[in-house]
Amino acid sequence: MIGFFICQCGTNISATVDTGKVAAAAAAMRGVAVAESIQYTCSDPGQATIAEAIRGKRLDRVVIAACSPRMHEATFRRALERAGLNPFMLEMVNIREQCSWIHSDASEATRKATDLARKAVARVRHHTPLLARKTAAVRRALVIGGGIAGIQAALDIAAAGIPVTMVERSPSIGGNMARLDKTFPTLDCSSCILAPLMVEVKQHENIELLVNSEVDDVHGYAGNFEVDIRRKSTCVDEEKCTGCMICQDKCPARAPDDFNAGLGSSKAISIAFPQAVPLIASLRKEHCRRFNGNKCRLCQKLCPAGAIDYGQEEAVLRRSFGAIVAATGYDHYDWKASYPTYGMGMYPDVVTSLQYERLLSASGPTGGRIRRPSDGAEPRQVVFVSCVGSRDESVGRPQCCSVGCMYTAKQAVLTREHIPDSQAYVFYMDMRAGGKDYEEFARRAQTRYGTLFIRGRVGKIFPRRGKLVVMGTDTLAGDQVEIEADLVVLATGLDASAGAGELARKLNIACDRNGFMTEEHPKLRPVEAASAGVFLAGACQGPKDIPATVAHAGAAAAKVIGMLARGELEASPMVAAVTESRCAGCFKCRGVCPFGAVEKARLPDGRPVARVIGSVCRGCGICNVACPPGAISLNGFTDKELIAEIVEVLKPDVGYRTLDFG
Amino acid sequence: MTEPTTRIIGFLCNWCSYAGADMAGMSRMRQPAGVRIIRVPCSGRVDPLLVLRAFQEGADGVLVSGCHPGDCHYGSGNYFARRRLELLKRMLPALGINPERFHYTRVSATEGARWAEVVSAITERVKNANDND
Amino acid sequence: MEDLISAIKKVLEQVDVVLGWARSEAAGVAAPAFFHTPAEAEGAIFDSTCVHNLAVHLPRLADKKAGIVAKGCDARSIAQLIAEGIIKRERVTVIGVACPGVIDVKKAWRCFGFGKRVSDSGGQVAMEGKTVKREEILLRKCRGCREAGPVIRDVTVGEVGKAPAAPADPAGIRKRFAAMSFAERRQFWQDQFSRCIRCYACREACPLCFCRDVCTMQAHEPGWSGGATNSSQSWMAQLVRISHMAGRCTGCEECERACPVGIPLMLLLEEQNAVVEELFGYRAGSGTEAKTPFLTFDVNNDSWEQER
Repeated sequence: MIGFFICQCGTNISATVDTGKVAAAAAAMRGVAVAESIQYTCSDPGQATIAEAIRGKRLDRVVIAACSPRMHEATFRRALERAGLNPFMLEMVNIREQCSWIHSDASEATRKATDLARKAVARVRHHTPLLARKTAAVRRALVIGGGIAGIQAALDIAAAGIPVTMVERSPSIGGNMARLDKTFPTLDCSSCILAPLMVEVKQHENIELLVNSEVDDVHGYAGNFEVDIRRKSTCVDEEKCTGCMICQDKCPARAPDDFNAGLGSSKAISIAFPQAVPLIASLRKEHCRRFNGNKCRLCQKLCPAGAIDYGQEEAVLRRSFGAIVAATGYDHYDWKASYPTYGMGMYPDVVTSLQYERLLSASGPTGGRIRRPSDGAEPRQVVFVSCVGSRDESVGRPQCCSVGCMYTAKQAVLTREHIPDSQAYVFYMDMRAGGKDYEEFARRAQTRYGTLFIRGRVGKIFPRRGKLVVMGTDTLAGDQVEIEADLVVLATGLDASAGAGELARKLNIACDRNGFMTEEHPKLRPVEAASAGVFLAGACQGPKDIPATVAHAGAAAAKVIGMLARGELEASPMVAAVTESRCAGCFKCRGVCPFGAVEKARLPDGRPVARVIGSVCRGCGICNVACPPGAISLNGFTDKELIAEIVEVLKPDVGYRTLDFG
Repeated sequence: MTEPTTRIIGFLCNWCSYAGADMAGMSRMRQPAGVRIIRVPCSGRVDPLLVLRAFQEGADGVLVSGCHPGDCHYGSGNYFARRRLELLKRMLPALGINPERFHYTRVSATEGARWAEVVSAITERVKNANDND
Repeated sequence: MEDLISAIKKVLEQVDVVLGWARSEAAGVAAPAFFHTPAEAEGAIFDSTCVHNLAVHLPRLADKKAGIVAKGCDARSIAQLIAEGIIKRERVTVIGVACPGVIDVKKAWRCFGFGKRVSDSGGQVAMEGKTVKREEILLRKCRGCREAGPVIRDVTVGEVGKAPAAPADPAGIRKRFAAMSFAERRQFWQDQFSRCIRCYACREACPLCFCRDVCTMQAHEPGWSGGATNSSQSWMAQLVRISHMAGRCTGCEECERACPVGIPLMLLLEEQNAVVEELFGYRAGSGTEAKTPFLTFDVNNDSWEQER
């Protein structure tokens, strides 16, 4: 006994599809006991009507023609369950996204909806009750990335009593936020609000912190991930190092200063920055004299703790986790190759916004005094160029970085605060100041701090008499503008951090066209990745400012806690299953399974057959196609169901059948 | 008499292309009405025999759409599918089916516009497939 | 023949059974024989009337140690069975034989009349006093044979590696088929399969159709094809088989030879094998380690020009 319910979705569906007509057609289909058109099937009264029909007409299968199953399949499955039916005895017909919203001809749309309804009714006849499987989950979470997103997620998860391992590839946690001077719109010091959280991560009894480490490989599935973590060799024993910095002071080998975004220089053995957590030195072999053919072992001789071990080797740890949070953040776009007219990095006084943060910062290479890199002079005229590698189709980057307008306004404000007689200019595309108090702040940058905002793109930057000439268009005035600047700051766009794509592949999740990891649903599942048990926190999912990142990370943490709190997971029963009597024992299924979910088993008579490990199978159905005798079959998408769909959806072939293929 | 609808069976993977088709709907992108979508978890679930079965039942065309390389929700389903479907495509002439009637392509969850284009373009190609060639 | 008999006897010392051929009074051609003892092996023969591909029996002997007399084309099937893990290399001993090409018994019958004992001596195929040159009635696969040296063999009898000298098959049906339009080809297959009697001889003769009792060609579920002997359902049933042969068919032509109504099945399988070879550079049965292309993939190189 099949119940057929068609949703009008207000007028979303009924404006194009004659739902009454479809219901009437469905009523005549074999096995359909009740067919009704409902204004909103997903509403409480709508669901009540369905539940009533299930009980009253003793339905054992239900077809609901409404929106996409990606939208409400879960809703209606719960409704069936509440009404006493197995939730998998449901079939949905997508007549909104894939019918009423894309067609304007009512008779065509109604005919299509009827075809689809017939298909669903045929399919639901083959449904069998399925039981959700429960599997034990490991009560430990992995947080990948130690920026503000990872820190927030780790602290929140740990606060719920769930152990966390945080993996950070650089020598210290803190991420990009640790490099910022002040934060908009409140101008509170970035380090001051971040540092206590960093320390808390280090000290938290539920958090294991692994720096200089990367995720090597990920196996398993939600609740039971097996992760290989590669601990890089830094030649420093983390247990022994006290962070006294003697090695750094005495090391004779200079090395680039990553923390200061390439401004200034560091040493081959160094502590990433003064507030680093953990406060330990690490040695970069590619810059060390000893590892480049010299005999130097100065750091080892001088280290009072005896922490230096040149023979330290990489190690791979294998850990089990129930859930994984990706919090890999962002990198600034490398603008040089795409903007030849900005000098391609040839002019030292054209700096990036991140470098400028370091020039502003009291812990930066200039001790917080703004000095231009070329000659150390204090700039008077500072020009900020927005949207370098953002919103620029000409370099193939249409996306908005979402923070550039605000941090540029902030940097303009800070410029005037540092050098009262300076003048800041901002070339901008549009002022995007959508957050709380953002617009007021941007306004203040103009009114109180005298920043001159010029709407337009900069065409060219070139040196002239010790200055940089910035040529651009003022699109509001319709004029060419030329400004002689002492320093130019480029507000570079944001990319997913280097290696995010590779990590996404290991985690079996997708990235969007800009390289950011993709959430499962843009609105309703913003922190869930498409792979069960993997969550996204912060800018790895898309550019975000600090408040949004913290909120996003907190949300990811809440999902992890929700998932691991019960200690067991309910997994979809729509997995492959083997009919042993049909299995020929060829194990082609095993050969194609991406998850190693098929094992060899022996029947009592000694015949080898395939067996699916239900908790490992993810339900892709690749095996189903590889199996010649059709013994292995994907629950919910069996050959029988799919063939029934094909046959039924094409059934009324009068009048338009053109192909006679057998 | 009006022109008969060109009926195309579309096998769409749940994670990319089906979501892409939904996205096209959410953006109200008009499309030819002949496509009948059958949802599958992965293009790796599409048995070439299902395609032949659809032709046998009178489909004018068949379209399989999955994830872009590297995007498969299951890691490798679309790679298996690609091999199976390419073989099928090249076998069709021997079976007496104009290969213009069969297409496999890739549409991601965010490519609603692309889905609408694919549907229009393929409907046109199927409509123009000449069986007397 | 003595070489063959002594080879079989020698192999029998290590295995339970040797598959070969013996003279048959009943059939038109030599009959497959199972040799268990040296005495039985005395009856072994090999000539152009030994048409069967005996590899078809190996999967059912997987729990025994078996020897098998194999022509070049048969050896490819054995290699493919091993590559797919259906039989184990160490359990099979292959006696590779020098093959003069095997005859198309239907052609012989066309020359001599139906059903009588056919023999081969010195390049002449004879039946009841009448003779015909062997080359003139060879099977299609033997004309332009690529498999004269058995790809897998433990014992070799005779001088292998020489392909039979025979004129190429007249293109005939293939030429006509190539010239047909899509619609004409559909009609062609409908006509061909209207003669199918659903006897499944094609499947039974195929060494690689290992599913046997659980084959989906005749299974009621999941409904690939019904069980009726109408053109449409028989056609789909055959497509099921052909699809399952993708990347596996070694081209031994046993299905077509076994078909009692003469449906040109190899037209489809040859096409499929050619496509597989073109796409993946793969020929089934080339070795015992090869991996069937449809059980794997190549992320970087599987990029055929795709539609849009």
